[in-house]
Amino acid sequence: METPDLKKIDEIIASTGKTPDKILPILQAVQKEYGYLPQSVLEAVCEKTEITPAAITGFSSFYDQFRFAPAGEHIIRVCLGTACHVKGAQGVFDAFKRYLHIPGNRDTDSNGLFTIEPVACLGCCTLAPVVQIGNVIYGHLTPDKVENTIKNYLAYHKAQKKQGAHVKARGLSGDIKGEIRVGLGSCCQARGSGHLKDAIEKIIYETGIPASIKHVGCVGMCYQTPLMEILLSNGSRYLYTGVRPEDAKDILLKHFRPGNIKKRLMPVISKGLDILLSAGESQSTPRYAIDKREKHVADFLNCQRNIATEHCGSLSPVNIDEYIEFDGFKALKRALKDLKADEVISEIEASGLRGRGGAGFPTYLKWRAVREQLEKERFIVLNGDEGDPGAFMDRMLMESYPFRVLEGMIIAAHTAGANRGYLYIRAEYPLAIERMLEAIKMCHARGFLGDNICDSGFSLDLTIVAGAGAFVCGEETALLASIMGQRGMPRLRPPYPAQQGLWGRPTLINNVETYALVPWIIRNGGAAFAEMGTEKSRGTKVFALAGKIARGGLIEVPMGVTLRRIVEEIGGGIANGLKFKAIQIGGPSGGCVPARLSDIPVDYESLADAGAIMGSGGLVVMDETDCMVDIARYFLQFTQNQSCGKCTYCRIGTRRMLEILDRLCSGKGKPSDIDQLEELAHQIKQGSLCALGGTAPNPVLSTLKYFREEYEAHVNGRCPAGKCKALIKYKVTEDCIGCTICAQHCPVGAITFKPYERHEINIDMCIRCGTCKNVCPEKAVVVE
Amino acid sequence: MSIGTERPGFLTLTIDGKITEVPEGSTILEAAESIGIRIPTLCYLKEIPPLTSCMICVVKVDGKRNLVPSCATLAEEGMIVTNDAPEIYAARKTALELLLSDHAGDCMGPCQVACPASMDIPAMLRYMAEGQYEKAIETIKEHIALPAVTGYICPAPCEKVCRRGQMDAPISIKLVKRCAALIDLAQKSPYKPDLLSDINKKVAIIGSGPAGLGAAYHLKKNGVSCTIFDDHDKPGGMLRYEIPEQKLPGSILDAEIEQIRCLGVEFRQGVHIGRDLTLKDLMESFDAVFLGIGNVSENSIKMFGLDTDQKGLKINRDTLQTSMPNVFAGGDIRKGLKLAVRSLADGRKAAEGILKFLKGEAVTGNVRPFNSRMGKIGQEELSLFTDSTGTNKPHVINTFDEMDKEEASSESRYCLHCDCRKKNACRLRTFADEYGAKEGKYVGARRTFVRMKGVHDIVYEPGKCISCGICVKITEKQGERLGLTFIGRGFDVKVAVPFDRSIEEGLSKTAEEVVNACPTGALVFK
Repeated sequence: METPDLKKIDEIIASTGKTPDKILPILQAVQKEYGYLPQSVLEAVCEKTEITPAAITGFSSFYDQFRFAPAGEHIIRVCLGTACHVKGAQGVFDAFKRYLHIPGNRDTDSNGLFTIEPVACLGCCTLAPVVQIGNVIYGHLTPDKVENTIKNYLAYHKAQKKQGAHVKARGLSGDIKGEIRVGLGSCCQARGSGHLKDAIEKIIYETGIPASIKHVGCVGMCYQTPLMEILLSNGSRYLYTGVRPEDAKDILLKHFRPGNIKKRLMPVISKGLDILLSAGESQSTPRYAIDKREKHVADFLNCQRNIATEHCGSLSPVNIDEYIEFDGFKALKRALKDLKADEVISEIEASGLRGRGGAGFPTYLKWRAVREQLEKERFIVLNGDEGDPGAFMDRMLMESYPFRVLEGMIIAAHTAGANRGYLYIRAEYPLAIERMLEAIKMCHARGFLGDNICDSGFSLDLTIVAGAGAFVCGEETALLASIMGQRGMPRLRPPYPAQQGLWGRPTLINNVETYALVPWIIRNGGAAFAEMGTEKSRGTKVFALAGKIARGGLIEVPMGVTLRRIVEEIGGGIANGLKFKAIQIGGPSGGCVPARLSDIPVDYESLADAGAIMGSGGLVVMDETDCMVDIARYFLQFTQNQSCGKCTYCRIGTRRMLEILDRLCSGKGKPSDIDQLEELAHQIKQGSLCALGGTAPNPVLSTLKYFREEYEAHVNGRCPAGKCKALIKYKVTEDCIGCTICAQHCPVGAITFKPYERHEINIDMCIRCGTCKNVCPEKAVVVE
Repeated sequence: MSIGTERPGFLTLTIDGKITEVPEGSTILEAAESIGIRIPTLCYLKEIPPLTSCMICVVKVDGKRNLVPSCATLAEEGMIVTNDAPEIYAARKTALELLLSDHAGDCMGPCQVACPASMDIPAMLRYMAEGQYEKAIETIKEHIALPAVTGYICPAPCEKVCRRGQMDAPISIKLVKRCAALIDLAQKSPYKPDLLSDINKKVAIIGSGPAGLGAAYHLKKNGVSCTIFDDHDKPGGMLRYEIPEQKLPGSILDAEIEQIRCLGVEFRQGVHIGRDLTLKDLMESFDAVFLGIGNVSENSIKMFGLDTDQKGLKINRDTLQTSMPNVFAGGDIRKGLKLAVRSLADGRKAAEGILKFLKGEAVTGNVRPFNSRMGKIGQEELSLFTDSTGTNKPHVINTFDEMDKEEASSESRYCLHCDCRKKNACRLRTFADEYGAKEGKYVGARRTFVRMKGVHDIVYEPGKCISCGICVKITEKQGERLGLTFIGRGFDVKVAVPFDRSIEEGLSKTAEEVVNACPTGALVFK
């Protein structure tokens, strides 16, 4: 291994500073520079800064982001979030390892070309299963698509290197006849909206059509991405869904006449287009504009109410003028000039707003608690460490409405009397970090941040801290520890952060969505917000709807709407005509509510009564092919992996629970296992130090409560849903026509290639990846 | 709600129904201590801020949904705390059982566990290795009244479980012990235990075989007058009359019995109980009777007036008390014991029961202390043992019938020191005992046994670490250049010196403080 160049360290330290609390940015910069954390570099950092060897090794080994060995040239990050899990992500992960010949205990192939990493959630749940290679996201993967995906990526990468900078849109002159809006949230981008945008820019450049292109935030209709909306100057709007770059020209030329520059080329272009159109029609699905009144769109949008996501689909994420035009910063001005801090708190109290991060603590109490502290130095913190697999609301809010989040935060800071603050955003959300950073800069430029905000005499400085990959940092005391440059270990509360937070000072910490709701409340009054929702849960809640439903996406609904409406009306019911079995709410801290109880309203108390929690708002819908023991195991695996390791119950207890679940899923369970699992779950729940451990048993307890018979079946060696690999067999039925497709696709050669004969699966070789079942045109492969 | 008077700067709370007044800022743990309520702790150290890691100090506070760690939870005015309740007991037990499920290390060495007399074999080996022969014999005689005899005839189950046997050859424990005993017997005045002051009680011991001799030795040591009745000419029972001279020389037996006689035990040979004297006679003139008469028929037992069951003599197996409260029995009279060393152990066990009886205490068996056992370990872990003790022990052949001092010392040096250096001071073990925690309650992956031995005195066995963080905090507080730190996260977290440096470099000035503070046997001195 070559010796790393230590000179870069001085540059890094010069930009970050030398104090112990700068450890996180220093290590992130070191990793960016060297690709991993070489020990010689870490030792040099200790010599040149105030960071101790104990701190640097303890800190760096705590967070998933840091590597201690060089990585391959390209990183393959396989999302193992809940939505991806139920759609077979583990199989995809295994398939990548198999294809790249990476042995079980390694993460990089022998050529050093690819490194494979499981990630908790990429936040693109509607595209599940999702894989990110380099900066490209691939959705809807199956084990048999792995080879093509890698080839596609390598080709793309080669092309990129060759091409260099992409085509820039040329400046438009003359009359703009319309606007083309392209969604640029992570989901949309994952489905190629970035390429679409490039294609549109290219078309505008080449044809000179008189339209401007505009980036908008998430529309929420992730199931239809990439979305392109065309607004004509006459007021008509056309929404196209699932648009591919190659479709763009066709669509645009339907609405716009090419500009003067290329007018004379028109016949040629039109001719070319005719050919293109017919070719397109024969080869691919034609794209039509959909009408918002169309039933599925109407269903998707109708029960929604946009507060945190106000002006969804029409607001450009980082255009401050437009935000101001849409009433932006009105609330801030009102809070700074027209209202006293106590009045702001009263409005928040009247709104009934409760923390949207999960536990639902009344927001005004937190604000008041910080305000009442004697200590004058106070901090404000944004908890943007959304780590639940299956949740991506906060990502979307930060990507699409960065100004709204900031406005809420500035109001909160002013009310609580904080002049410094941090936005802790997980590193897995680069776009959110980028947009928030841009938004902060713009706010500074316009006087909404910095000294003497809006001439009120109030000053506030905000710093972004990129989290380093530890779910437990979503817990507020762990998050604060992480900002201060420590291992993200939760501590006992009280004292609460409001009393003793960052560096022992009073600290107000709220979730992204909570801040995002504040401007609306201040503008429209707490009472207006309180009109929505139920008695104890007011207002709206943003949910990430994913899993086995027809239409997944980002939704904002009034509290009190029933789960059934969300699944059936908004989500369009279960895809593929299967039966709705359960809905998982609240991620690893939540629980599974069975379909028969789905008439309960969505509010903090009802969900808790049903054994789930509101959590941060991930909703993953499951159908009859989902095994509840497997789901419980999935979540336990997650929390166990993310346990900080501090307290006994969580560190060892969750591991023992996981081992029991592993035994059950592999057919080695004993009848006493279920009782021990349940007993351990209760002990961990009541004894753990923090909420991560305290809620970790919830997925087990709720599935035990509603689906105990499935656990018992596993003890008897049966997986009723046909999911647990060790308990199932794939079999070819008499319907087989001997087409050999399954034999061609089987990654391990467990099916002999015998044309026109009924195929047979060699059970000993079979790895139960399900590829044969997926590819069989005759549905002749069944699970036994 | 306010209880009691309101003194400024103080607050009043209730723990287990007891009201106490403590200064503001006190923790529940401190408040409990102030009224003599002991709450168990592992990760707590007064000098450092609470670590809230072990969670065995949990208590219930009225109005709180979950249990709270008392070491870190501040007392509040009117707080009602429950420490003594089944649910608290269960929670602590679970925490202990979880810690034990991830514990790689034995309390007692496998040899001591296998020894029917539960002798501290590793301690004897260490004394022999260092040439401390008197300490060695003292260690043996703590449990075994006839060291030389057993050094000849014991089948040595200890050697069968010796971990060294997995690598090359087990330590020849029996020969080392014999050597220790012979060194002692060859002295002008062999080792004599300190006798406790006379408690003014007399016990009749019937039979002078290993059980009777064992009982006599341990009773006498505890200040009880003993008279042994035996129908043969010479004492020793089966040791003398059933074991051939070439296996156990009579001179050795004589010498060791002489040691017992020297303590003041009276021997009355040629007296047959049942013919010359009756049990009833003995019961009248002695405070208690011990029957060590060997393998006799059920009829003989009935003739003594003792009850029988399917297994022969009806007896409490923990105390060796028979159906008559003042009559105890042991050795081959209980079916299936067969080994002399077991009979010796029986004699000691009966002596404990008799002592309780004589003192008017409840006659209960001594609870066997909690004992963590790794069982058979894998080759990888075994090599970690070997690394620290040197390899290639010369193979000792069992027909070797004598070992001299040097040989015994050198043989002893190959002991792997499987037993824990803190077996008598480990708080995890103490609380496991107190809460009846079972080591095997939760089965699953556990840490690997690793032993890191410094050049100097410090030994670190991470498998025994409970990740409490006390050592990490101490090294941080004392400004160690490297110190100790947590590496990794979650279940796999471990305490180590940064940058893979040695334990000595990490603990350059805090070794003693850290070893004293470590609640388990993870950080110890050699």
